Amino acid sequence: MAEISRRVTLSWIAAASSSLAVTGCDSQSTSGGLWKDLPLEPIQAKGYGLDAKLTEPTVPWPLTLDPVQRETLRIAADLMLPADSHSPSAGTLHLDAFIDEWVSAPYPVQQKDRDLILSGLAWLDAESAQRFKLDFRKAGDAQRRQVFDAIAFKKNIKPGYEKPAEFFARLRTLMMSGFYSMPEGMADIGYMGNTPSVGPYPGPTQEALAHLNAGLTKLGLKPV
Amino acid sequence: MPDNKSVSEFEPDVVVVGSGAGGGIAAYVLTKAGIKTLILEAGRDYDPVSESAMLKWNREAPLLASSTPDKHFGYYDATVNGGWMVPGEPYTVAPGSKFRWWRSRMLGGRTNHWGRHSPRFGPYDFKPKSRDGLGMDWPVSYEEMAPWYDRTERLAGVIGANNGLENHPNSSPGVLQPAPKPRITELMIKAAANDLGIPCIPAHYAVLSRDIDHPDVPRQACFNASPCGRGCGIGAAYQSTTSVLPMAMATGKARIVTDATVTRVLTDASGKATGVEYFDKAGKAHSVRARVVVLAASACDTAKILLNSGKSGLANSSGEVGRNLMDTTGTNVRGHIPALEGRPRYNEDGMDVAHLYIPWWLYKEQAAGKLDFPRGYHYEIGGRFGAPGAGFSLGGMEDGYGVSLKEDARRYYGAQLSYTVRGEMIPNADSFCELDPDVKDKNGLPVLRFHWKWSQHEIRQIAHGIKTAKEMIGRLGGTVLTPDRTPEEAIEDGGVIIHELGTTRMGDKPSNSVTDGFGKSWDVNNLVIVDGSVFTSNAHKNPTLTIMALAWRSSEHLAERMRKGEV
Repeated sequence: MAEISRRVTLSWIAAASSSLAVTGCDSQSTSGGLWKDLPLEPIQAKGYGLDAKLTEPTVPWPLTLDPVQRETLRIAADLMLPADSHSPSAGTLHLDAFIDEWVSAPYPVQQKDRDLILSGLAWLDAESAQRFKLDFRKAGDAQRRQVFDAIAFKKNIKPGYEKPAEFFARLRTLMMSGFYSMPEGMADIGYMGNTPSVGPYPGPTQEALAHLNAGLTKLGLKPV
Repeated sequence: MPDNKSVSEFEPDVVVVGSGAGGGIAAYVLTKAGIKTLILEAGRDYDPVSESAMLKWNREAPLLASSTPDKHFGYYDATVNGGWMVPGEPYTVAPGSKFRWWRSRMLGGRTNHWGRHSPRFGPYDFKPKSRDGLGMDWPVSYEEMAPWYDRTERLAGVIGANNGLENHPNSSPGVLQPAPKPRITELMIKAAANDLGIPCIPAHYAVLSRDIDHPDVPRQACFNASPCGRGCGIGAAYQSTTSVLPMAMATGKARIVTDATVTRVLTDASGKATGVEYFDKAGKAHSVRARVVVLAASACDTAKILLNSGKSGLANSSGEVGRNLMDTTGTNVRGHIPALEGRPRYNEDGMDVAHLYIPWWLYKEQAAGKLDFPRGYHYEIGGRFGAPGAGFSLGGMEDGYGVSLKEDARRYYGAQLSYTVRGEMIPNADSFCELDPDVKDKNGLPVLRFHWKWSQHEIRQIAHGIKTAKEMIGRLGGTVLTPDRTPEEAIEDGGVIIHELGTTRMGDKPSNSVTDGFGKSWDVNNLVIVDGSVFTSNAHKNPTLTIMALAWRSSEHLAERMRKGEV
């Protein structure tokens, strides 16, 4: 069987080192307590087209976030998915660069996310300033958690916080997608696939079958 | 493989339009019979060995390989220069209709990325009208088709088991390759399904679990990794580019020309086909002469070519070209299953395809008039420790942040099941395609305009599929994650399942159909159609295997007629 090379280099990590020079809009350090939809220019860059080289992927559009937005994202990433005994934090895996790649893309879904996420980053600063007279990134860990607590839990969203909560949920989805796609995230969650093997698929382990059968028995179903 | 230069000296006996499921088989069968065959492909040359993104990680692709308007099925999907829109080749949809049309523009067509699900049609499926009075019977029976299915399954390589269920025919002994072991999620679905009296059995997929040692075109068994939709560089998942096209080329009797968009079938004064007209990439028109024209451009493109060939369309004395357009019904129900939370990890990729599925099981109830819809469906079941990427999801269980979020991810990963309904549609007068009176494509030809309407047969069937999936999730103590929708809201738009069929249907007489049971045009003796457009009905079984089996039978019949000098 041919050994197919597997690059582990991330396009967005490679891009991250050069991104600081390619800043787009200004820092959004608005104040006041309420959500504001930022007036953003649409991304004009070209996409990768209908016949991109699939074996050597590249990201053709420039990254557009400024250093302040990137720092805020890094802090948010570390808070959302912090280091624990299983894996490092999302910030250390450059998830801010992934979000930058995402919101800088010229496609409709990503442009919609750009509006939501950039406005959301500005809201984090505004909310933090209203509460603590500090930008989100300058606030302390406990203060940042207070801001997150207002928007992170589905059953605990107070009136007026719906839009920031929508921003948070979307950013969390993207952060989790990026995080668990990384080798560290896949190891944490236990994804063991994308690994070629010769011969018939071995199927579930004895341990996995025992767990299944315990579950089936509890449900009054026939074990396998 | 293609040779776009020397075509003028080739002087083919047969020109085959299209290199996908039907065209690939036709090229293989005709060249094996010693017939000089020219294959015209609208798309570019494509080589899955060097071009498919096997084993690439999602994180290596832009946007984690997410779906975009450039690549609707994600960055790594094999589709080239296509998707729901093809540049320069628009289509229109009539007011009040919803229809989408998936195309690719590459050698091998959609066989490079298809789902590979390959059930046989059964005896009921070829004679639907005899059974319930709806639609039309095929001019062929299952008994006539059975040997062609055997042959096609051997050639393509199909995994599965002989399950002996009503209207789900067995293959002949030794034809099927061994099916892979089921995953935990599939065993769980099976346990609940069986408890409710619903079968859940090894599915048939055109993927190898054993090597095929062909002297010219060897193919390797699946190595249990990498999604089939990316294309299969080792030849395990069937596609014409790693099988029948190189096999046809190895005979020395075939030529392939790519970037050749066929626009018309050319005819002489007597109405006989003399060849085809095609446009190259630069927009230059060419004509090719041949004794016989075989159309395999896909159901809708074949209809487009015929409708553009002559005033009221070629081979259209019945008026049926473009009519009877069918797709498969589709919807999806997902559930979260607490009994799957935190389950022990193992490599759950397997052969990418579903290892088990739920075939239609209520034939007797339908025959007894106990159901309010006449035709069946099946479930393609899913749920596994999937490769994380842009769609990473805990099925809506995500909440909060911090260490608890990571704990939740470990607990809920792999704890969702999905039940995808795929059902039969009965042809109706409101679903068809025709030439748009105003809009033209890049070559100046009128484009297709689609009309679409699901009937109550399909709506009620979808309602049953949703209800039963919820019962199965409930039996597992699970929570339904899919929002409540009416069946009208839940059913996918026409074309979305990418099983367009029926636009030049075969029948038992020229008045009700475009071709006979061998895909031969009733009107034009030397015109044969071997793609999904000839389907008389669209059973609740994915069509590609049947396209291939019919193409084989029709191509052998054509070769025989050519030998006898009848054409």
